[in-house]
Amino acid sequence: MKFFVYRYNPDVDTAPHMQEYDVEVTRGMMLRDALMEIKRQDESFAFRHSCGEGVCGSDAVNANGKNMLGCTTPVVELKEPVNVRPLPGRPVIRDLVVDMSQFYQQYRAVKPYLIHKDPLPEQEILQSPEDRDKLDGLYECIMCGCCSTSCPSFWWNPDKFHGPQALLQAWRFLADSRDQATEERLDDLEGPYKLFRCHTIMNCVESCPKSLNPTKAIGKIKELMLKHSI
Amino acid sequence: MTTKNRPVYLDLKQFRFPIAAIMSVGHRASGVLMILAIPFLAYILDLSLAGPDGFAAVKTILDSLFIKLVLFVVLWAMLHHLLAGIRFLLIDFHMGVEKEIATKSAQAVMVAAPVLAVLIGLIL
Repeated sequence: MKFFVYRYNPDVDTAPHMQEYDVEVTRGMMLRDALMEIKRQDESFAFRHSCGEGVCGSDAVNANGKNMLGCTTPVVELKEPVNVRPLPGRPVIRDLVVDMSQFYQQYRAVKPYLIHKDPLPEQEILQSPEDRDKLDGLYECIMCGCCSTSCPSFWWNPDKFHGPQALLQAWRFLADSRDQATEERLDDLEGPYKLFRCHTIMNCVESCPKSLNPTKAIGKIKELMLKHSI
Repeated sequence: MTTKNRPVYLDLKQFRFPIAAIMSVGHRASGVLMILAIPFLAYILDLSLAGPDGFAAVKTILDSLFIKLVLFVVLWAMLHHLLAGIRFLLIDFHMGVEKEIATKSAQAVMVAAPVLAVLIGLIL
């Protein structure tokens, strides 16, 4: 199977180029396996990967124009030749390795942790099964970056717009019955950029390898904002 | 580590946009097109109301195939903008926000707008 892979070595190259590799497909081969085979052929090739089963979120790449996890994408589902590029809109450190700092900064900005103001109880803070169910479809995010780096609003304003990943997490903590900072969280999301740069394009929903729905979460945040303002 | 002056892969020709994204771009483009069409349409309306001569002049203008084509595109833009707008409104009310339905509704808008434009064009 033919692969064209985005190559850029900052020490040698002035501009990135696509390099061709031929990989023998084995049964059940995932895109990550193919990239590892390419690395065996050419050890100068760099890409991130770790768990190999869609849990760590390290090996998100853009293959044939779509963002996906290398480890959960069977190569037989990809049209040949396969064009593998780094995640869109991020500065390339080397080959498929990109700088995700802005993405993490946006995540940090939504305070992705429980804020509890009452004195903490001696044991755990209890939550009803119904309240726990509200976190389904939110907590599963592995922060691979497929969504935010496929979002045009994030492409043009990665410094000001939180992006789908961070907003999904903003809602994850707003929706948590144990969190007590709803007002502050909503105040922090005010303004034309952080939340409201979302134009419901839904590329995030399309690209999420965990089938999560940031658009829905963003809609819920807006609804809660409305409820709190009246 | 500094990543200034690094290349960024953001080639819109290489990125594969889902149908919902293409529909969304169409929503914007159709909005801009309609704004640009306002001066022409206002001029035509003004001329047609200027008296029998003006009305006759407008009739000959509208008989031209090129103008008919322009008007068809504007009509298509209006219908696309209207239908896409309704879709966005429904999504704001958490209706059709799931992946499969959002894809289907985007396809429906893409197909329905030109079909309706042709139908209305034929009637007029």
